[in-house]
Amino acid sequence: MIVCVAVVGHQNNPLYLQSFTEADDALKLHHVVHCSLDVIGERVNNPKRNAPALNETFLGLLYPTENYKVYGYLTNTKVKFIMVTTDLDVKDADARNFFRKFHAAYVDAVSNPFHVPGKKIASRSFGARVSTIVKSFGSGTTA
Amino acid sequence: MPPPAAPKSGDALFASVERVNAELFTLTYGAIVRQLLTDLEEVEEVNKQLDQMGYNIGTRLVDEFLAKSNVSRCADFKETADVIAKLGFKMFLGVTATVTNWDAEGTSCSFVLEDNPLVDFVELPDTCQGLQYCNVLSGVIRGALEMVSMKTEVTWVRDMLRGDDAYEMRVKLTKQVPEEYPYKDDD
Repeated sequence: MIVCVAVVGHQNNPLYLQSFTEADDALKLHHVVHCSLDVIGERVNNPKRNAPALNETFLGLLYPTENYKVYGYLTNTKVKFIMVTTDLDVKDADARNFFRKFHAAYVDAVSNPFHVPGKKIASRSFGARVSTIVKSFGSGTTA
Repeated sequence: MPPPAAPKSGDALFASVERVNAELFTLTYGAIVRQLLTDLEEVEEVNKQLDQMGYNIGTRLVDEFLAKSNVSRCADFKETADVIAKLGFKMFLGVTATVTNWDAEGTSCSFVLEDNPLVDFVELPDTCQGLQYCNVLSGVIRGALEMVSMKTEVTWVRDMLRGDDAYEMRVKLTKQVPEEYPYKDDD
């Protein structure tokens, strides 16, 4: 199950951070997200494959820590979505699906004329949509 | 002389006019409201400006509406309201409104909009709670009706941006102004 999602802007400024577990872990999760930014930076600057894939948005598993897995997704405006999960096996398709829905919610939140780009996302409906997407994440994997 | 064309239905009207991308329209309107807020800073002033802008649009819009839709003269205010809800809203916004809550004299009614393209993606921040985001629509109706000799007052009853379930505006016919001629008849 997903413990944390984060949206980080193109200057690595945090735009949205939501954890879905007890509050004690919140600081640790912030730290995990922060470290994953370094991994993203590396991936972006040194592409591994010779032929870059057409869809470079989904970055995949960034790094596994002791009991978390961190997935990343990069939009063309260099906004990064980070997802931290405790699931032991996460199907690639599920993660991609999650980020696709998350991207759609993010785009709707940013289209709000009262949202200032670069500031934190203050939309309540974005939070609600993210919670729904997060809740429906685990259920897809159970057969 | 060819016979006059029959009045078109709402869908046919909507299909016959030139259309614009809905997101472009929504984002443009959002930008207008944001800019007004930055320039005027007072929520009440912005409401008034939106109403005035709507009024200016409405006075011009009603001619285009009558030219394209070919409706005949309305017998009373009830028919006018139906025409606005079914044909007017459909032609210009692509959505139909329902007319409800007629009062006893037939001079006041409500237009209920379930779906409003102006407000897609919009969430009012806490600093702008008094903002009537769709006030331009009330101005448009007021301006259009004034050009066909009806003075009205339009107020917002329900607003989805404030947590209600639909958009409802109350239109009250205050005066039916008879045609005034600039010359005297008995000269």
